[in-house]
Amino acid sequence: MITLGMDLGTQRVKAVILKDGEEVSRGQAFSGFDATTATEEAVAQALKGAGLQRSDIAYSVATGSSMENAPGADSTISMMSADAKAGVYFFPKAHTIIDIGAEEARAVKCDDKAVMVDFVVNERCAAGAGAFIEAMARALEVKLEDMGPLSLKAERASPINASCVIFGESDVVSLIHRQESKPEIARAVFDAMADRVSSMVHRIGVNPDVVLIGGVAKDVGFIAALKRKLGVEILIPDFPDYAGALGAALIAATRAKERQK
Amino acid sequence: MKNEKIEKKYAPEIQPKEIEELRNTIKTSSEKIIAENIERMKKADPNRPQAMKYFDEISNLFGQRQEELSAEKAKGKKIVGYMCLFAPTELILAADAIPVRVNSGWYDTTKIGDRVVPVEVCPVIRSTIGAQMIGLSPFLELSDALISVLTCDGMTKMGEILSDYKPIWEMNIPRVKDAAHSLRFWDDEILNMKKQLEAFTGNKITRKSLKAAIEQSQKATRVFRRLQDLRKGNPIIMGRDAMLVNQSYLWDDKERWTQKATALCDELEKRAERKDWVCPTDTPRVLVTGTPMFWPDSWKVPNLVEEANPKGIIVADELCSGERILNDPVGVDEWTMDDMLNAIGERYLMASTCPCFTSSDGNEDRINWLLNKVKESNVQGVIYYVTRGCMLYAMEYTRIKKALDKINIPMYYLDTEYTREDVGQMKTRVEAFLEMLTARVDI
Repeated sequence: MITLGMDLGTQRVKAVILKDGEEVSRGQAFSGFDATTATEEAVAQALKGAGLQRSDIAYSVATGSSMENAPGADSTISMMSADAKAGVYFFPKAHTIIDIGAEEARAVKCDDKAVMVDFVVNERCAAGAGAFIEAMARALEVKLEDMGPLSLKAERASPINASCVIFGESDVVSLIHRQESKPEIARAVFDAMADRVSSMVHRIGVNPDVVLIGGVAKDVGFIAALKRKLGVEILIPDFPDYAGALGAALIAATRAKERQK
Repeated sequence: MKNEKIEKKYAPEIQPKEIEELRNTIKTSSEKIIAENIERMKKADPNRPQAMKYFDEISNLFGQRQEELSAEKAKGKKIVGYMCLFAPTELILAADAIPVRVNSGWYDTTKIGDRVVPVEVCPVIRSTIGAQMIGLSPFLELSDALISVLTCDGMTKMGEILSDYKPIWEMNIPRVKDAAHSLRFWDDEILNMKKQLEAFTGNKITRKSLKAAIEQSQKATRVFRRLQDLRKGNPIIMGRDAMLVNQSYLWDDKERWTQKATALCDELEKRAERKDWVCPTDTPRVLVTGTPMFWPDSWKVPNLVEEANPKGIIVADELCSGERILNDPVGVDEWTMDDMLNAIGERYLMASTCPCFTSSDGNEDRINWLLNKVKESNVQGVIYYVTRGCMLYAMEYTRIKKALDKINIPMYYLDTEYTREDVGQMKTRVEAFLEMLTARVDI
């Protein structure tokens, strides 16, 4: 049975196709102004990769902040449920699953039976999410993908304010004026962000295994900072940015079976 | 003649033309929101009880009830507004005056209140101040005086601010209930309020008039409890419908409300006999607690819960805009004046679960109420609703969460503002919570 998961994030749309519960292909596109078109593009890519037609798909589930705009979705699922499903799929002993996207940070708590029992989301602010790194990279005149490796070269930490992207940016500017080195400023950015994410996660408890997914889970600078903050091992799957779409595709498989009953 | 102006302590100068424009715009949009809310409630239950028709009408804040109150006022009756449930409505009724609660559920007036108090202040307060500034609320406008109970910080200062517009009668509530002198202190406040009401209305509160008022509120409590009892079984009425019935007691005529609510209960009982449930019996059963949710704009969360995918049903609440209104009867042993006044004092102080109270055991009464409700109403999940700036509810969250963790009932902290802009984000959070409740049953 072929199922499709679509994750309509604020920055990118991701699509994952499963065959009998195993991932066979992926696709992604920039969300842009039209999430529907972007989803069609991501799905077309995934279908092409799997050598399939849209009509081969038995069931599809959409998630993500624009999930309502997913063309042809059979149903939707919240990002938290999709995160829980994917986290446990990758690491069966996952109890805390952290998902950091472009504009949202979430954490989900699962019990021993892999059922979600609690969750938290960041409160109407992008300071604990990917957009924060992006804004700071701009201020530092550094490429986004270079921020992480750069931060690892820092010899010490300098504090900045991450209660808000705007304030954070002005802090970074003043560090530049104080002629702090770029690696140190980059590390300060990740530390500040990890600080915020960590206090959010502590609200539901840090219970190993701790899994990190979402686009920001690819950033070595953030991973290092979060490890320092939480003081536990952090497990990251391959292609963590596709985890939400994968979770949706797994839920699609369950729902397809329910429908057959 | 001297043109003497009374100096205002807080109220800013606003030109009458601006006031009128603001009032008209917000009133028009509010009428639309009231109608929309009712349409949504009708849609949620196509087979809605006949008796709800009355409550739909009385929920129009700019309709029938406004006219009735104006007519009563023209005949010389006094109208006494109040901001907290601690105001002893039986005394108001016994003085032949009309009690009406005046807290604002209008989102748009918060922006006007922002001209007087900063945005960090709870929006219930900012919105009520804003409503007064532009004369939006018919009930607030018609009030001859306001009872301001010094509960949370917002309520305490709001009375002071509103004193620029109305006579304010403060009631000072003791923060620790279980000390003997607390009740004595509060009994004095009740006695003062009696004298205040008598002087203001010119009507003496007699043994007879107070007995009649207490008996009326006992009758209302009986039917109120009957309605909440009906909600404890399989889903018989949508939560939003019951919440509207409960809340409309705050502004409706007490006797008529009692009759109409009785008719609703009769109808629901017949439905229960036929097993005519309002939604599938496995719909997740939710309790809401926290900041009060005032009609109409603060129907945001109830709307989200009962229209979500998967859908939930609100079977109980612990809100001072909901089940706390009439949950506890005034228990009188002997119908002497002293005894009745003591009974009122005790009912308003001891039965309250407001987070303004504390003690070395904390606000135990609230925890016990919640644990009881969860059990009695077979609640599967609790939504802890807090508006930004609502300190006391925000601060009690962790303790309540611990208490509910112990009995394995999930609770979600849903924080919001008096705004419509976060509906999308709130929807995701509510749906994730309901998915969680469903998953606990499914998997």
